[in-house]
Amino acid sequence: MNPTFEIQLIAAITAAACAIPGVFLVLRKMALISDAISHSILPGIVIGFMITQDLASPWLILLAAASGILTVVLVELIQKTGLVKEDTAIGLVFPALFSIGVLLIAKNANDVHLDVDAVLLGELALAPFDRVFIDGTDYGPKSLWIITTILILTVGLLLAFYKELKLSTFDIGLSSALGFSPFILHYGLMSVASVTTVASFDAVGAILVVALMIAPAATAYLLTTDLKKMLVLSIVFGVSAAIGGYWLAKLLNGSISGSITTVLGVLFLFVYLFAPSKGLIAVLLRQKRQRIEVSLLTFLLHLNNHNSTEERNVAHLQEHINWRSVRANTVLQLAKNNNLITIKDNIVTLTQKGLEFTERALDYIISNKDEKIEDMKNDFFLFRG
Amino acid sequence: MEITSFFTDYTLRTITIGTAVLGAVCGMLGSFAVLRKQSLLGDAISHAALPGIAIAFLITGTKDSNVLLLGALVSGLIGTFWIRGIVTKTHLKTDTALGLILSLFFGFGMLLLTYIQKQPNANQAGLDKYLFGQAATLVESDVVLMVIVTSLSLFVMLLFWKEFKLLLFDKEYALTLGFNTKLIDGLISFFIVLAIVIGLQTVGVVLMSAMLLAPAAAARQWTNSLGVMVFLAAVLGAFSGVFGTAISASQANLSTGPVIVLVAAVFVTISFIFSPYRGILFKQFRLLKSRRELELQKTLYFMYSIVEDHTDISKPHAIKMLNNFKGFTKKTLAKLETKEWIIIQGQNWSLTQTGFLEAQNLYTNLPDKK
Repeated sequence: MNPTFEIQLIAAITAAACAIPGVFLVLRKMALISDAISHSILPGIVIGFMITQDLASPWLILLAAASGILTVVLVELIQKTGLVKEDTAIGLVFPALFSIGVLLIAKNANDVHLDVDAVLLGELALAPFDRVFIDGTDYGPKSLWIITTILILTVGLLLAFYKELKLSTFDIGLSSALGFSPFILHYGLMSVASVTTVASFDAVGAILVVALMIAPAATAYLLTTDLKKMLVLSIVFGVSAAIGGYWLAKLLNGSISGSITTVLGVLFLFVYLFAPSKGLIAVLLRQKRQRIEVSLLTFLLHLNNHNSTEERNVAHLQEHINWRSVRANTVLQLAKNNNLITIKDNIVTLTQKGLEFTERALDYIISNKDEKIEDMKNDFFLFRG
Repeated sequence: MEITSFFTDYTLRTITIGTAVLGAVCGMLGSFAVLRKQSLLGDAISHAALPGIAIAFLITGTKDSNVLLLGALVSGLIGTFWIRGIVTKTHLKTDTALGLILSLFFGFGMLLLTYIQKQPNANQAGLDKYLFGQAATLVESDVVLMVIVTSLSLFVMLLFWKEFKLLLFDKEYALTLGFNTKLIDGLISFFIVLAIVIGLQTVGVVLMSAMLLAPAAAARQWTNSLGVMVFLAAVLGAFSGVFGTAISASQANLSTGPVIVLVAAVFVTISFIFSPYRGILFKQFRLLKSRRELELQKTLYFMYSIVEDHTDISKPHAIKMLNNFKGFTKKTLAKLETKEWIIIQGQNWSLTQTGFLEAQNLYTNLPDKK
């Protein structure tokens, strides 16, 4: 296997391994825990190094994962006191732990290659150089083995606990009433996130792990609300960003994890703008349409209240409802096109259809019962709710 | 190293004033961020400022502090407004938006930085000091800038104090009163971003969020008044800066940023534990006290239930009778005696008339009950 292929493989598998816990973190509104964990594993690594004096020791991973879980425990302890809100608790714990890590490095490991840049960025380009040799046979890069194991474990846990995870994410009350322990599920998820972070940051660095967990999931969330689809889409986005990012880095001669993150960013921006019903453009168009329909409804109801011809003159209505001419004309056009009014000699009259429409709308407003306007839902955004 | 060297030594003086001013402005503006539940906004914005620094360098080719900070400001503002856009226009929640902007912008920034490093221009060394800050490289002009920004923030805050306070606690009411909430909101966000950008070179990206949060969280525990909280947060922030600088200066190999953060964290811990109304320690005392109070009442009622069927309510009973009853202690008995609700003779207790009446009315709400 050549290094190019290996790097992309590592990146892709890391992306997949991060996407799965990421989906649940986003759905549970715990996205920033990933940021907290990725920063606070630093002291774990440093302490592990101080004990073993060996950068390649597995103790580093274990202690780092432990300090990730410690973060979560501390955050929840602080939350339990009720003295500050949850996000404040997170923001207090991880900088403190991170500072301890930085100071420990500066004080004790200053002349060793525990480079903070490497912690933040990782160095995917160097991953192929750290290989596993058993009896002299080359089994491939070490990071590949680690992250593949993590991926298999994660997928296994996901398949085993899918229903429980789904239930506790969306209806925590029901899941505890049914006897599942939300506590175990929560800490299980945190542990998986922690271990995945540690395994990944060796290759891709702390920041990219956060991006790989949150961005694909958030992007997928804008496109679907089906959990299975969201998981699949997240993995697809993560893997494509990983591979695309690699080639971008090659083009610009920059950091691979930085460029993977950039690709994730561009992907998110694109979906944010253009997603079918949740994208920014779709939302803005829909809101504009709803505004006109509200105006239409107001106008028709107003019309219904006036029977004399002077009050139903176009200009008078404009003045009475206090709309500017552009808006008034748009509304008039819309009403006319829908056969809700007729205009003769500048006098506006409600048609039969218009009359029925206003009566039904009034019914709906007063009683708030959906069936009053069932058949109108197709024509009007307003009633789609 | 004597105390006077803080005033005579140029570097120490500059750094001390710089970090104190930074701590103060972070405390002030951080109070608003914490109360608006935007605590981690500081974290997100500090990370989001990074690409701005890189792009500013790419465009101008200089490492002039002010130019780079301007780039950071623009990038931070774009991040802030995109976060707001995500939260208001999509169903993604605040934490997701913060995490997205944080990591995506920072990653983009790192890509640009590494791209810059590979350029033949030798000028790019040291751009990454913005990651961790190096308070030691503060010069007087930097501190002057900090003081200006702080004074400006203070002035704006005092000018719009009522509006900020209203927006903070009751946004709907502010809207109905006709205030332009978007403008006020934008103003607060702008100053928060400005404070972050200024603080970047002192404590760096990673630790800036703590500086916005910790003094405010600590101050919150001591008061319920916004004005007092903001003032106290500024004071605590300033002290964190000064002590942090002092401690890191006194030892070799300690960078200033992390030490300041840890000092602030200590303040927070102390506030959490020892503050009179909200602190954990005193809460625990109050809990124990009310528990004892409750047990006193229960013991009295138990005694009453033993005695009420007797014709002579003052008939003595053995103390041993109470042994099966939980909540009875010698102290409880002594207290009941002090209140003259019981009389203890040797190994016996007996209910007094007042004690009997008290127990009778214990669980009712008669108007003449004292």
